[in-house]
Amino acid sequence: MAASRKRILKEYGECMNDTPSGMKINFDEQNITEWEILMDGPDQSLYAGGHFKLRLTFPTEYPFKPPVVSFKTKIYHPNVSNDDKGSMCLGMLRPEAWKPPNKVISVLHLIQTLLIEPNPDDSIEPTIANEYKDNRKEFEKTAKDWVKRYAK
Amino acid sequence: MSSIPSRRLSRASSRAESTFSFHSLPASTAPLALSSPAVTHRSEPSDFVRRSNRHKKIPVDVRTLEYLEPCDSNLVCLICHCPFDKAVRLACDHVFCNDCVDQAFAAQEGSAPKTCPTCRNRVDLNREPLPVPRILMSMLDELRVKCPNHKAGCTWADKRSDAQDHVELYCDHAQVECASPDCRLGVLQKDFHKGCLHYTVSCEHCHTSMMKKDLEQICPNRMTICTSCFIEILRHDLPSHLKEECPKATIMCPGSVCGCSFAHERTVVVAHVTTCPMATMAPFFQAQKARLDEQESQQKLLQRKVDILEGGLSNIQNMLYPANTNPNEPCPVPNPLDPNTIDYASGPLPGTPDFRLPAAAFPPASQPTVDQATAAGQPPQPPFDSSTHHLLSLHESLRDEVSRIANALTDLEGRTNMMIINENQRVKDEMLHTNAAINSMRMQLHWLTSARLQAQNRTTGGGGPGSSSAAGGSGSSGSGASRAGGNGGGSGSAGAGAGGSGLGGGVTLHPIRRLSDSNRQDTKL
Repeated sequence: MAASRKRILKEYGECMNDTPSGMKINFDEQNITEWEILMDGPDQSLYAGGHFKLRLTFPTEYPFKPPVVSFKTKIYHPNVSNDDKGSMCLGMLRPEAWKPPNKVISVLHLIQTLLIEPNPDDSIEPTIANEYKDNRKEFEKTAKDWVKRYAK
Repeated sequence: MSSIPSRRLSRASSRAESTFSFHSLPASTAPLALSSPAVTHRSEPSDFVRRSNRHKKIPVDVRTLEYLEPCDSNLVCLICHCPFDKAVRLACDHVFCNDCVDQAFAAQEGSAPKTCPTCRNRVDLNREPLPVPRILMSMLDELRVKCPNHKAGCTWADKRSDAQDHVELYCDHAQVECASPDCRLGVLQKDFHKGCLHYTVSCEHCHTSMMKKDLEQICPNRMTICTSCFIEILRHDLPSHLKEECPKATIMCPGSVCGCSFAHERTVVVAHVTTCPMATMAPFFQAQKARLDEQESQQKLLQRKVDILEGGLSNIQNMLYPANTNPNEPCPVPNPLDPNTIDYASGPLPGTPDFRLPAAAFPPASQPTVDQATAAGQPPQPPFDSSTHHLLSLHESLRDEVSRIANALTDLEGRTNMMIINENQRVKDEMLHTNAAINSMRMQLHWLTSARLQAQNRTTGGGGPGSSSAAGGSGSSGSGASRAGGNGGGSGSAGAGAGGSGLGGGVTLHPIRRLSDSNRQDTKL
């Protein structure tokens, strides 16, 4: 536990030194295993202008188990579950794909990349993924609508 | 900090002492450290053995250590993000901490073959993990770390490989078992000698109760604000801050020792000191004052010495001149510093002209120096540099005198003894002479009496039985004379007389006895 705690603190230091653009990490010293992240929608993405609130939760087995990322702000995205959990599960965040040497900062970069470029082949919401693939215009419209509605 | 009356709430055994001073307690061993074992522990040569025994054996967790300088990223374990602890290598050449790789394997799904956490290469647990190159080990050992107890105040920082030894043997801030045998709690090594600090006290400042050992560290109210300069400091440091640092505290000019009455805030005073002549003089005056004080204390010491010696001297003099002791003037010497003023003619020892003591060279304290100049005509006095010296010499000469008298006494005693022995000898000799004379007289007397008896026997011409009885009478008288040699011969002559009277004519015999008596009387005289 002490080792994982120490690692989380180190990773926090690393993130503070090199915060990805448009991100802000609220760090609670009493409970370092839950990070609250405020993220601006990347400029080149559909979500530009939105402010998203995410929660990054480290399991007690961290770094042997992946951190859990969830959107607290509703977002219309094929890789984010469309429910009150807003969970995000893909790529390196999958338990079987997670490797202990992976770092939180790369997770944050992954999230940003994913907002710019959704990955419909590895989606959690098949309907949104299909819409993204087949009816891109409709998808973009809904996504921007949701940003206006929920992420202002 | 002022003494804090604290109340011990637990430990009924020492309830009698309900308040105690905050300061005095750490100096003495705490009242609960019954036989103060720490003191004896400290002095023992086997201190290290004891220390390591009473240390709680907690291996230093290398991964929680703080490093002095940021570590090379190649020496960092990718799992715990710390410099490797007991580094191991997998067949794929990835290096991890031993514990990290074990944990990583444990976290991987049960029956599936274990894989490298980095590259997912299969790991053969029978062969791996492999040891790492020695150069990596020595690079890791040479990383410099802070003591794991550095938050408690330990300043040690050195090679990582020495950290375990430091914590176990040397670190003053390591947790050890409490000195009290019936206390199971831990205490810092440096507080070990203070005895058990695990009792509850109430902090004066925040009125919460806490363990004695935590009183200084965790009191939530321990910070206070200096009333002069409004900075926040530890309450503990406030008095020294006011005295030495606080720029707004009102202090006196350092020249106050020689009369400067300037008092103002510290910053103003500092500026004032550069111009104040008295402040520049102050160090000199203070040095002088210190010297004066020193001299005074020395003088007091000497004064006491002189008093003692004077008392001793007067005692000796009282012994020497017992006739002079009267209640008004216990000492026969009116001025103890000048014993030659004694009128010896009136003393009991008028004939000791050699008992003249040297006078003191210094004048009495009340005498002005002019008197000294006028007294120059007096005979030169031996140079004594202090009254003590003079008294000591007096004492010495008195002692000489006493020993001289003692010698004379023993001499006299010897002579008297000799005289008595000689006289005795002479008397004895005379007694022997007298005895010899008496004996010779007796022999003569015996001869004369026997001659007379024979003559009488012949003239009477008596029968057989008469002569035979005469012979018996002479025999008895002879034996009587020999028996009476010691004490006079009176009884002998009486026996002879009895023999004679029994024999016959008492008239003729009477003068003989008288003759013998007178004869004896002559010899005696």
